[in-house]
Amino acid sequence: VQPPEKPLQAEEWNRLRENFKSAEIFEEVMLNSMIRCKTPIDVAKSLLTHVAECNGDIAYRTLVKYLALCVQQGQVSEILDMYDILKGRFKILESGAYSLLIRGLSNSDQWRMALPILEEAKQIMIPSRTSYESCIKAASRHQETKLAFELYREMLAKGVVPTLDVLQSFFDFSRGMKGAELQEELFGILLYLRENQIYPHKTFMRSIKLWFESIPGGNWRGHLTSIKDSGQCPVCNHQLEDSDLTEEEYNNLSERIIRDVIHGADTFRKTSPQEFEAFQTFVEKRLPFDIVIDGLNVSHIKPKKMQCENLFDAVNSLAKENVRLLVLGRKHMLMNSANWKREIMKEMQNKAHFFFAENISEDDPFLLYATLRSGKHCKFVTRDFLRDHKACLSNTLTRHLFRKWQRGHQIVVSPSVEGRHLNFLPAFRYDCVVQTTGDTWHIPYKDVFEEKYSFQVPRKWLCIQQKL
Amino acid sequence: MQSANMLLKKLLRTSVLPFAARHGMKKNLFPLSRTLSLSHCLKQDNSCKPSEKLDLDAWKKVMKSGLQEEVSETVPEPQELSALAAARETLEMWRLAGKLVPENISEEQLKMFMECPSKSAKKKYLKYLHLKELHKKIDKKKMEEKREKKLEAQEQTSKTDETKKSPFLYLWSSTMDKAYNWRAAQSMIFGQPLVFDMSYEKEMSIREVSNTVKQLVLSESSNRRSADPFHIHFCNLKDDSLYHKEFLKHYREAWDKLLITVTDQCYTEVFPKDKLVYLTADSPKVMKTFDHDKIYIVGSMVDKSIKTGVSLAQAKRLGLETAALPLDKYLLWNRGAKNLTLDQMMHILLTLKDTADWKKALEFVPKRKYSGFVNKSVNELKKSLDLINTLKFGKRQEEVQKKFAKSYPKK
Repeated sequence: VQPPEKPLQAEEWNRLRENFKSAEIFEEVMLNSMIRCKTPIDVAKSLLTHVAECNGDIAYRTLVKYLALCVQQGQVSEILDMYDILKGRFKILESGAYSLLIRGLSNSDQWRMALPILEEAKQIMIPSRTSYESCIKAASRHQETKLAFELYREMLAKGVVPTLDVLQSFFDFSRGMKGAELQEELFGILLYLRENQIYPHKTFMRSIKLWFESIPGGNWRGHLTSIKDSGQCPVCNHQLEDSDLTEEEYNNLSERIIRDVIHGADTFRKTSPQEFEAFQTFVEKRLPFDIVIDGLNVSHIKPKKMQCENLFDAVNSLAKENVRLLVLGRKHMLMNSANWKREIMKEMQNKAHFFFAENISEDDPFLLYATLRSGKHCKFVTRDFLRDHKACLSNTLTRHLFRKWQRGHQIVVSPSVEGRHLNFLPAFRYDCVVQTTGDTWHIPYKDVFEEKYSFQVPRKWLCIQQKL
Repeated sequence: MQSANMLLKKLLRTSVLPFAARHGMKKNLFPLSRTLSLSHCLKQDNSCKPSEKLDLDAWKKVMKSGLQEEVSETVPEPQELSALAAARETLEMWRLAGKLVPENISEEQLKMFMECPSKSAKKKYLKYLHLKELHKKIDKKKMEEKREKKLEAQEQTSKTDETKKSPFLYLWSSTMDKAYNWRAAQSMIFGQPLVFDMSYEKEMSIREVSNTVKQLVLSESSNRRSADPFHIHFCNLKDDSLYHKEFLKHYREAWDKLLITVTDQCYTEVFPKDKLVYLTADSPKVMKTFDHDKIYIVGSMVDKSIKTGVSLAQAKRLGLETAALPLDKYLLWNRGAKNLTLDQMMHILLTLKDTADWKKALEFVPKRKYSGFVNKSVNELKKSLDLINTLKFGKRQEEVQKKFAKSYPKK
């Protein structure tokens, strides 16, 4: 339906309604299309008047639709009126109306009115993150940074994940402002990014840079750069952190992997107790390995080649002097078949240790176990992103540890462009995460806003250093 | 109270509007018919003639004036709201906002609603209740229609009262029941056992358990009706388990008269291990033929969250043979998980037992899951597969081997 351009008389509305096929939802459909066409609210008002005259009442959802229209057009007095009407009519409202009211008011001079409404919304349910976002932005826009940070902390305490937009707004609104306390708060946000392994996008990065450079008397300078493979920053020559876990973290992670990934709810799902025990004794006897290879994964790299041939190539290019290799596979690889030639398999077993799991067992958990058991220097080779195994871990902290460890220890193989040989993308020598030494900050950032894969790691960095 | 008011007003409106429209009546007649409830509207209408400027905020006055009535009504209500009442109120608001919320909700359901851990869980639960309510309503309506038709038909037949001559008494359903029970009793002595493994209760949510039991009830009934029923065993079924409670809900007194074997023992204790075959979609082995000497086990589990390998793990633990239906061999799989419902499994197994015809048996796989049967015979398929393989490796295979032998000579 096309909404009218001018307010209509009751009979004109009646005529429109009669022409509409389902009269019961006429108002809603009409208001929806008004929101879509950004029709002036006077037209909507005339519709409401008509409805009120016919029914003596207006349904709640119609009122909310009208409220949405007012919010869209920033009609503050109208929003306040709506609040009065709704409050008069209903004891409590539902979350949709609350967030509309909050959004509408926090964008206006009456932004303080949004705060009691936020309080009210808390009574029935945890407010949405956009509601918090509106209030925080309003508060920091009006230099009420203390209030803004209070709301931010409350949001975190409630387990509501802040949008990157809110975090960015803190940096935008604090630009040029003085105060050690404020500085600490913003550093706190950067550490929040670090702990949760969140990478800011390009515009957010720019806000961070501008804020640093605007701190009065701070003498901060920011540069965009990319870090060398060695982990050294080309701007300040600072060596970035490596992804090694502390002793405690390392033990914690190994324990969790055994408990959650290998055993899980039922050891028989992925392997069997006998098999796992056999594998453990196998590994203990031959420790430590330098590189653990997921045999089946590597064998599928080039689909045109025989699978054992692919594996053979990989083993050959990784086998060097004094490098101890472990290849994990399944028993079917030992059966002489079109893809698995016995001679080649024999040949390979001279160069590396092999463990063959049952055909119905999963080999990835073994891969993780063997690598972790071998120690911090040990790397593993697979193209798998290991997302399903990460998902088995029971808490976010361990998942973050797992990601960090994975970044530093996974070698990714891919066929080279001309297809002759294999490419090995070495594991990172440094950890890709927001980091600081006090007088420097290094912040990795994403080029595009939407890069949603957790395994993708940005290559671009913001280097910030303080010249004293 | 409020909703009752609204209903009244709506009724008024719907009865007046078409009338006015039909007779081409103008607005001046319109408010007159509603003088009793809406005096303030009348006043405004009189003051606002079509030619005058519209009073755009008139609706606000209506809304605010309605408010005073409300207030006087709501005063005697107690001020403090218990958690339940608050939840009820939230629900009411959601309903007014046009979300999918049931009209009536019991205390128990309300508690379930409050225990939902997140907002989305709450929404899902309410939608489920809403749809349930809707289906119930539709069913009720259909029942009433049917009853009316039946009454009509009866009236007509009573007019033409004329008993048809027939050598049989009209006793169909009870006679059929007797016949079915006779067969089921026979199957309990001579029939091939079919085991349902009831050990998955802790893997499932309450809703999944109740779905499982529904499917089992369907399976049991289709088994009873078949020409040569299985001897059904419910193994690992503990008394007072959720399964048991749900069964009692469905069967009531009939539960003790069912011609099946129910035991809390494991099937490994009841049957020799080497005869057992665990049917699971995760099995690496594919069933080729139906073996009349084997005892097939079906896991009584509905897993909406697709927990892979649960029943395979069970079979592994007990060291049992496993098998999967040859779905890929006979069907061009389209979409959906390969695990089938228990009643579908029952139909398939029954058909296999009677006919040994895979095509006929796999008709019971839901049509949405496959796009058709594999037409070619197995031999032809094998030939084309071989062809693909020779194209892929073919001559090259020998070449590769030679190259290998050259570049990596044996020590």
